[in-house]
Amino acid sequence: MERLLKLLEDGHARTLELLAMELDTNVDDVKRQIEYLENMGVIKRVALQPKGCTDCSGCSGKGHSDGNTCKGCLPDGGFKNMGEMWEVVKNSRVVDSI
Amino acid sequence: MSTATIALLGQPNSGKSTLFNALTGMRQHVGNWPGKTVEKKEGNFNHNGTEYMVADLPGSYSLSANSDEEVITRDYIASGDADVVCILADSSQLQRSLFMLADYAGIDVPCFLLLNMSDVAKNQGKTIDAGAIEKKLGIPVIPFSATDTKSYDVFYKALGRAIADKTKLNVDSLKKQYESIKGYQEICDLIPENALPGYLPMWIAVKALEGDKVVIAKLKAAIDADSFKKIEEIRNNAQGAVATGGCKFAWIDDVLDKAVRSQEKKVTLSKLDRIYTSKTWGKPAVILTVLLGLIASFIPALPLMGVGSAVLAIKEPIMNALNSIGCPEFIVLVVGDVIIQSFSYIFKMLGFVFGVTLVFGLLEEAGVMARISYVFDNTMGKLGLQGKSVMPFLVSFGCTMGGAAGARVIDNWGQKVLTIALAWAVPCGAAWATIPMLASIFFGPGAVGVIVAILFTMLIHMWITAKVFGGKLVKVEDRYGMIMELPPYHKPKWGSLFRYVFARTKETFVRVTKVILLVCGVFWLLSYSPSGEGGVLYKIGVAIEPVTKFFGMPWQLFLSYVASAVGKEGAIGVISALYNGGSFGEAFTASMNGAAKAANFNEMMLANVTRPEALAFIFAMTFNMPCVVALAATYQETHSAKWTARIVLYYTAVSLILAFIAYHIGMLIW
Repeated sequence: MERLLKLLEDGHARTLELLAMELDTNVDDVKRQIEYLENMGVIKRVALQPKGCTDCSGCSGKGHSDGNTCKGCLPDGGFKNMGEMWEVVKNSRVVDSI
Repeated sequence: MSTATIALLGQPNSGKSTLFNALTGMRQHVGNWPGKTVEKKEGNFNHNGTEYMVADLPGSYSLSANSDEEVITRDYIASGDADVVCILADSSQLQRSLFMLADYAGIDVPCFLLLNMSDVAKNQGKTIDAGAIEKKLGIPVIPFSATDTKSYDVFYKALGRAIADKTKLNVDSLKKQYESIKGYQEICDLIPENALPGYLPMWIAVKALEGDKVVIAKLKAAIDADSFKKIEEIRNNAQGAVATGGCKFAWIDDVLDKAVRSQEKKVTLSKLDRIYTSKTWGKPAVILTVLLGLIASFIPALPLMGVGSAVLAIKEPIMNALNSIGCPEFIVLVVGDVIIQSFSYIFKMLGFVFGVTLVFGLLEEAGVMARISYVFDNTMGKLGLQGKSVMPFLVSFGCTMGGAAGARVIDNWGQKVLTIALAWAVPCGAAWATIPMLASIFFGPGAVGVIVAILFTMLIHMWITAKVFGGKLVKVEDRYGMIMELPPYHKPKWGSLFRYVFARTKETFVRVTKVILLVCGVFWLLSYSPSGEGGVLYKIGVAIEPVTKFFGMPWQLFLSYVASAVGKEGAIGVISALYNGGSFGEAFTASMNGAAKAANFNEMMLANVTRPEALAFIFAMTFNMPCVVALAATYQETHSAKWTARIVLYYTAVSLILAFIAYHIGMLIW
């Protein structure tokens, strides 16, 4: 997993497949590493959904603070097919130590 | 009758609940763990004269102190209340799901391993040699399927064996792995046996290295202060969770080595992904995709455009009819020039909003959008932004407000403000409706060229804006790249997509109708004069024309540009109102005669505006501030009047400069 994090240091985004190729392993192995790193707080899943909307006619200006969006702002349940993204959490003790 | 207690341990989706229900049937009860809100499920069953109590432990990823569930789980196990722990793993992904076992290793309680969902693994073409794994682990290991009643015999046998033999996990090879970690052995040596009952020093040392706060606090209370201080010192200079996790995975691979055989899947990329993820071709491919998407969005726009033209066609008959019944001239003109005219634009514009939303929704649904943000992640990094800033930008093609709201996912304030500032440069749906309409009147098929030019200007604009504002808002620093799991390409769900597109179109219709009617009405009124000499606006317009001409715009277009700051959808309405108003006398006479020349927007525009002027206006309008609502949204999201004002002034200045440049380039061409 040190190698995985080291790879990301160059700032380039990588897909699971590219990581697997560069680490000379398989996608399942990359997935379990990501799962672990996420659980340990080294990386975090990026939320791609804006939380609530504020000023569309569907809300009549009141907005949704509960994290829902109006039908016209986003498709049902938000954009679902954007895949998943993770970013490395800076200042995490774990990251600093490598 | 003898009794025994078993605890079920497994990650979520390991099939734990299915097993629990199958074992206990109706004989279960649910409570809470003492002092916690975590659900406690217990039950019991009889088998071969033994009564078994079953504790269904909360499902969690591991036994770290990341959640209440995990702490409760490990405390319960270590307490020894359960005679044996039944650990479940998902056979179809053992590499991943054996992590629980690896994290369990070092808790000194008998256990056995269920390789659940063995039927799924079989269907995947995996063969698992449970015997080989059992040999390495030293505990009963059985292939199992919680949904298959036949496999329960094997389960009961393994259960009996584990209880009778008190089978404990062999952790020697895992210990060897840990020994490779700097500081592990020193910490281990400082922890006496039984420092924390139920846990081996190995387990405690590893959790200490991982920075497990609960374990560290317990350790502090359990050992002498001197040893604890030493441990803390070692810990601060040692490798942490990344290293221990690596050891656990290496151990798992070692356990599975030669015991699991599957068809090795080579990592392959689809043809399309090979292009999108290519370092050389990724960017051009994505830009081309967006460009084609925008052009393609004109196709679904056509029907609504037709409605817009049809509305315009009824203008003349209605005005004639009103005149013939002796309706006052003022009302006839309001109905014709303001209301009917406005609705004609509204429908034409809705066509584009519909088209753009549909095409981008389609790209998102199909999985292409994810590739777009992947390709631009690094570029975003160079601007000091995060990869996810791409989303607000793409949303802004539909509506800048959406973009501003979308920027909420960015937690760093400076990055959020910069993202919104850049999102302003992305022409919104209203601009996309206006650009092609005007461009096609003046440049015919050359309109496509104008669209391409706008897109490239947008990219350069965003780059420069990032450089202008970036210094104060973000630090461009070394950063880690993102990890992305790209979704598979798939067919869009048309139903939900169309519901969204229609809702979006309706939403735009409501908002736009208000803006256009208001803006067009006000400007028409200001320019209305019954005497035919031109209204108030005419006088002001003529007075400021020397200045506006400098930017390549006659006063009518300049006022329309000013109106576009209120809402871009209003721009065309204003032009029409002004050019109609300016030559009001003629227009009225013409419509009375049935010639209706001036009523035709296209011809009216061509007669009054030159091509360079039109080009200047298109650029000025497109890169003007998006609209007042977006302005409000920007203030709301940034909480900074200063930055909102800065952005507004900057955009006004840049749009005028762009108009000036476009005008002079236009003068060179035509």
